[in-house]
Amino acid sequence: MLEIERINVSYGDLQVLWDVFFEVKKEEIVALIGPNSAGKTTTLKTVSGLLRPFAGEIRFEGLAMGNMPIHKRVEMGISLVPEGRGLFPGMSTLENLELGAFTAKGRNCKEETLEQVYQLFPILKKRKKQAAGTLSGGEQQMLAIGRGLMSKPKLLLFDEPSWGLSPLLSKVIYEVIGEINHSGVTILLIEQNVRMALQLAKRAYVIENGRIVKHGDGRNMLNDQHIREVYLGTESV
Amino acid sequence: MNLQVSAQSLIFGIFVGGLYGLAAVGLSLVFGVMKMLNVAHGELLMLGGYVTFWFFSLYHIDPFLSLLPSAFVLFLIGMGLYKGLFSPLAKLHEEVKIKNSLLIGFGLSLVFHNLAIRLWTADERSVSVFYSGWGFSLFGLRFPFIRLAGLVLATIVILALQQFLTKTYFGKAIRATTENWESAALMGINIEKTSMVSFALGAALAAMAGTIVSVGYAIHPAMGLEWTLKALIVVVLAGLGNIGGAFVAGVLLGGVESVSALFVGPYMEVVGLVIFLLVLELRPQGLFGKRSE
Amino acid sequence: MSSHRKNIFLGLGIAILLALVPLLTKRNDIINIMVLIFLYICLAQSWNILAGYTGQVSLGHAAFFGLGAITTRILWVGGYPFLMAFTTGGLVAVVFALIVGHPALRLRGIYFAIGTLGLAQILKITVGNILPTVADLPGDYIATYNLIPRYYLFLILAVIMVVVVYLVGHSKLGLGMVAVREDEEAAEASGVNPFRQKMISLAISSFFAGLAGGAFAFYQVSYYHDLPFSPTWTFDALLITFVGGVGTIVGPIIGAFFYAIFREFFARAFPELHVFIFGTLFILVVLLLPGGLVEAVSRIRRLIRAKKTDTGFS
Repeated sequence: MLEIERINVSYGDLQVLWDVFFEVKKEEIVALIGPNSAGKTTTLKTVSGLLRPFAGEIRFEGLAMGNMPIHKRVEMGISLVPEGRGLFPGMSTLENLELGAFTAKGRNCKEETLEQVYQLFPILKKRKKQAAGTLSGGEQQMLAIGRGLMSKPKLLLFDEPSWGLSPLLSKVIYEVIGEINHSGVTILLIEQNVRMALQLAKRAYVIENGRIVKHGDGRNMLNDQHIREVYLGTESV
Repeated sequence: MNLQVSAQSLIFGIFVGGLYGLAAVGLSLVFGVMKMLNVAHGELLMLGGYVTFWFFSLYHIDPFLSLLPSAFVLFLIGMGLYKGLFSPLAKLHEEVKIKNSLLIGFGLSLVFHNLAIRLWTADERSVSVFYSGWGFSLFGLRFPFIRLAGLVLATIVILALQQFLTKTYFGKAIRATTENWESAALMGINIEKTSMVSFALGAALAAMAGTIVSVGYAIHPAMGLEWTLKALIVVVLAGLGNIGGAFVAGVLLGGVESVSALFVGPYMEVVGLVIFLLVLELRPQGLFGKRSE
Repeated sequence: MSSHRKNIFLGLGIAILLALVPLLTKRNDIINIMVLIFLYICLAQSWNILAGYTGQVSLGHAAFFGLGAITTRILWVGGYPFLMAFTTGGLVAVVFALIVGHPALRLRGIYFAIGTLGLAQILKITVGNILPTVADLPGDYIATYNLIPRYYLFLILAVIMVVVVYLVGHSKLGLGMVAVREDEEAAEASGVNPFRQKMISLAISSFFAGLAGGAFAFYQVSYYHDLPFSPTWTFDALLITFVGGVGTIVGPIIGAFFYAIFREFFARAFPELHVFIFGTLFILVVLLLPGGLVEAVSRIRRLIRAKKTDTGFS
């Protein structure tokens, strides 16, 4: 569904991604893991169109996305739940959700999707008139995910969904991500909580210093010596 | 100081203040969406006034009727200005963008100022309608019809804008872009289009203020800077990007200036500026803004 | 070191050439436009050190210019020696800057810009109310009025201004200023006191703007007292610096020549539409050369150098 072909991305003169490649197949959950500032967020931003690669290509459902603007990518079915949630803090919960359904496709079945989101996160219905900025951290993450679903995406990108959440809440959010995937949405997520990501993901890629250094089956990665040492903090015996 | 005189001053101040508010709302809208300060905003207001003046003197169209046509003309001009001058800046780095938008604004104000002198001479002009002298008295206070009508119209325009921004999808897109343009783009909002419409809308709002100024007061080619400054003060009082607050702050400023004129005479504008500086220092989020961390 | 020396010799050479101008021509229009250029250099360069080097884009520069002008004019016409009046003008501007500096510099970015604009407007309105009259020179002053000393005063002022900015730019102080401009938090973390840097920058900026105002009061025979407080002086400084190249030492100099000469040229060639044409041209420069004329010059230089090496090898 999504093919990343050796993309190179830079901020001004500073190159941060080098020949990054990976693939997400239909209805898969793929995790992209790696240390801080390895290029994870940059990769997601490039897929969603906030950044442009100066070399390489991104294909979605076989179509090269080249210089396609961000809003067109959303219309094609790519949705990003951004780092730090990126809510509209002064607008109400409901307005945030409605904006999620800004695309023609999203607007057509807005009421229906809204019901689904409320079923997934009943608390959002209670908070619907409240300004997004006044919600608790967990509620904000729920709202960000709900908003991401409102456009009826085929591919949902998550940037650190457990950021700033308690372990318990992170677990809840991860269960929801699993549910969303079961309903047929393909998922690509990046995460610092490597253990949780690898337990959920079917496949995973490891990115270090802007390069993909390893990839493989999610569960197998949990037993990988390098991963255990660097990311899980457990010495292999 | 006589209470009657004070009350009369307050009323006239509120009439002018409504226009300050209307002028500020457009500036605030554009700043919110594009993070660019359009220093030629006052010149757009001036052009709006002259378009109305033209409609009146060439085609004898009543100025209040030409409120919307003038706004439409400036909407188109705004669209053109955005496409030709401000849109290329959007790609630039944040800091360069702010500086260059300031510069283009300065350049534009020079151009419009000069153009207005050529087209309409440097004299003060005013649209004088047959009902200029109408009005009524209440409790011994005078309410001139055209100024009252100006305030009412300004209020209606602001309320309509408020409805547009809170009730329509496009309006919500404008607010979303103001709050976080990256997230807005990720919702599928076309930022380029939203910016263009916001800029054009800002010009149209300036034009409406200009129309009302041309009837109740006077217009002249050098009025731009004055109005940009007034709008800027009001925008700061309300908090940058706070559109609803801008109107209230405008009325407040008009009232305060006008009443303080009774006490400090020609220093009335200083009073407004001092309040402006105090707000800037002590409540940079504006009088009505919430403190953000 | 050698580039240092080269720069100094080049600057010195140009200054000497400019010092010869009044000996070579008796045309007052040329002298007048040169005076205007020197005034612009001083005005723009003093703005540049605060905005370009330290990153504090002030829109209240006219306040310092105006304070220098009004102090100098009143003292000088009041019978004090000109140089004393002139220096006092600069100092008054600095004192004002030090008083308002603390609250003003707390504001950041666009807030600083509009705050300083408001401050300057307060001064302008106040002066306009207290002294609504025209500042005419007394008859005996007019009788002895001579353009040549004015020319040299402005030239010396402009040269000193450029030298000061050059020295500051190449000193530890200047590095600290640039650090504050680039990233205030990072500068603070590496031991620079941002507030101190901004304050020093503001003091230098206001002193020279005040002196420029004093020179203006010495040069201009008749003007309204609030004219030097007009925001157009600020806008002139800003336009010149940006057109030339902000944050560089050559930028405001090139910008001042460009600004004064083009404005004069258009005013003569198209008296009706000169501001219109100038404004349009200005917008084009901003759109096509976002780095200012300095960037254009270095681009052309690189092209020529590339061509030279090309032919050298072939």
